Amino acid sequence: MRRYLLKRMLTGLLMVMISVAINFVLVRLAPGDPMVMLAGVDNPNPAQIAALTEKFGLDKSIPEQFFIYVGGVLRGDFGYSYVNERPVLALIGERVGPTLMVTLTALIIAVAIGTLLGVRCARKSGGVFDQIICGLSYLFDSTPSFWLGLMLILLFASTLHWLPTSGMVNMRAGYTGLARVGDIAYHLVLPVSTLALITMPYYFRIARSSVLQVMSEDFITTLRATGMSEKRLFNKYVLRNALIPTVTVVGSSLAHLIGGAVFIETVFSWPGMGQLLYSSISKRDYPLLSGIYLIIALSIAIMMIVVDIVYSLIDPRIKYTD
Amino acid sequence: MSLLDIKHVDITYHVGKKDVYAVQDANMSIEPQDALGIVGESGSGKSTLAMGMLRLLSERICTIDGEVIFDGKDLLKLSDEELRKIRWTEISVVFQKSMNALSPVHRVGKQMEDVYRIHRPNASKEEIRSRVIEMLKVVNLPSRVYTSFPHELSGGMMQRVSIALSLLFNPKLLVLDEATTALDVVTQGQILKEIMALQEQFRLTRVMITHDVSVVASTCNKIAVMYAGRMLETGYVKDVLVHPKHPYTQGLLKSFPSFNGEKEELRGIPGALPDLSVKPTGCVFAPRCPYATEQCRTSLPTLQTVGNQWQAACHQLGGVSNGGN
Repeated sequence: MRRYLLKRMLTGLLMVMISVAINFVLVRLAPGDPMVMLAGVDNPNPAQIAALTEKFGLDKSIPEQFFIYVGGVLRGDFGYSYVNERPVLALIGERVGPTLMVTLTALIIAVAIGTLLGVRCARKSGGVFDQIICGLSYLFDSTPSFWLGLMLILLFASTLHWLPTSGMVNMRAGYTGLARVGDIAYHLVLPVSTLALITMPYYFRIARSSVLQVMSEDFITTLRATGMSEKRLFNKYVLRNALIPTVTVVGSSLAHLIGGAVFIETVFSWPGMGQLLYSSISKRDYPLLSGIYLIIALSIAIMMIVVDIVYSLIDPRIKYTD
Repeated sequence: MSLLDIKHVDITYHVGKKDVYAVQDANMSIEPQDALGIVGESGSGKSTLAMGMLRLLSERICTIDGEVIFDGKDLLKLSDEELRKIRWTEISVVFQKSMNALSPVHRVGKQMEDVYRIHRPNASKEEIRSRVIEMLKVVNLPSRVYTSFPHELSGGMMQRVSIALSLLFNPKLLVLDEATTALDVVTQGQILKEIMALQEQFRLTRVMITHDVSVVASTCNKIAVMYAGRMLETGYVKDVLVHPKHPYTQGLLKSFPSFNGEKEELRGIPGALPDLSVKPTGCVFAPRCPYATEQCRTSLPTLQTVGNQWQAACHQLGGVSNGGN
């Protein structure tokens, strides 16, 4: 087990390095020059552009730039954002909280409700309730998140005025303390609902098909023949076997949470990582972009190892040998 | 008095809009400490009959008519709660594919304890544990099996676990559904021998479902031959397998090699099982039977007594008797 973990950490590190290198090169190969944007697109001053290019080291070759960047990262220096003139890590640090607030809440709701519905539908598969929920799950599965977000804004914010259209806090009110928490929660409702509705079908289908599959297993017939009550049979034996796939899928989707939900954060003007990523792409803010990708790659690598460990804990059939 | 009486049992599967008549008019009676072998090819309805009489088939996919009288009670008419009490304490089953007979994520011993607790809810931890370990010992398993997971055991060991589990409450009737089919012949031989010894020790009545006539010949005293959902011949093994009356039984025996005696040509039965969703007008075996006449194709033969508890359903009994030798 220990050697296996060590091996996994090394491959994880390698994966992060490769992804950072690819991202680093790729964004620089893309059309568009950040210095032109900084100098002003409408009235570019060649002397200023040249000065900026030299200041940020963009006049060096790409391999050279890459080694300077990696050297900085190893010392904990992720560079400065061109646009914001602030350390990349500080910018990301500000955004991680709001992003996790949306993505984690939505994930918990989607997993809980999706799984409950899936289990319920599997127990009475073919019934009216099952058919309705299955239909809805296909509907929401094929709905684009930004469209659903816009429709919810249209209905609950613009028409009914029940909820705010966008943002994380009411800037004008300037709440503090508990009132601020309540205000954030109030702003959280629509983005979280949108994201949860979009992700729910996924967990619904996994739970439903997994329960159905386990219920047709031979050991269920055995235990039923022993006279075990259906309740105990289901709660102890069916669920324990059927929830393994859900746990593993949740684990791997946790890894992607930190990257945020670009569309939803943009639609709701939510100050999170997704929005930061979006604006850094459109402004060609290389250091910020590389920083965000690095954080995402790192969190995926770490979560994958955690998922592997959790997997071996919940399924006795999986053992990692050296 | 017989322990189990199966009377006019029909089992019909509902597949979409079609009905499949998997078992029709099954009749059988089993005395205490009998060992009955039900033989037939795949799709003959033998497993369906066993699962159906124990009410293990989902009521959403099939209907069962007739009577299954076990110890004076009709299993098909009992309430769920009454049935639950009989299950495992009086009738237990060893299923085919024993590798999947237990939950893969729970330890073997814990699952057996769980089963024990169903019918002995007030038993102490010590009592439960010692009973489970005792039963593992009975089927010659080491005590480490208690803390093992199913995937850590071999097919033969899991089969022994299934048998240990089935004997937990010392049931009157033990049903073995293709219990040794998946095992190699050496292990199969050992386990069959152990099962027979256990039958003596626990005074069991046994129903053995198999497609292997040799298993029935070596371990049972009674036999029922099924084909296309119907029982074609029933009786004592020493009668039916020595002087088969029904052309199907005769054909079945010719398709197995014999160890002693002359080297005979092995012959299968030409043709295939009929479509079970069409109710036959005549004998189900008529399309493949070498002796079939017009009468066989138009009227259904009923079981006729041809000896001591020996019955066969065939119109041509007079004409083909001893044709198997």
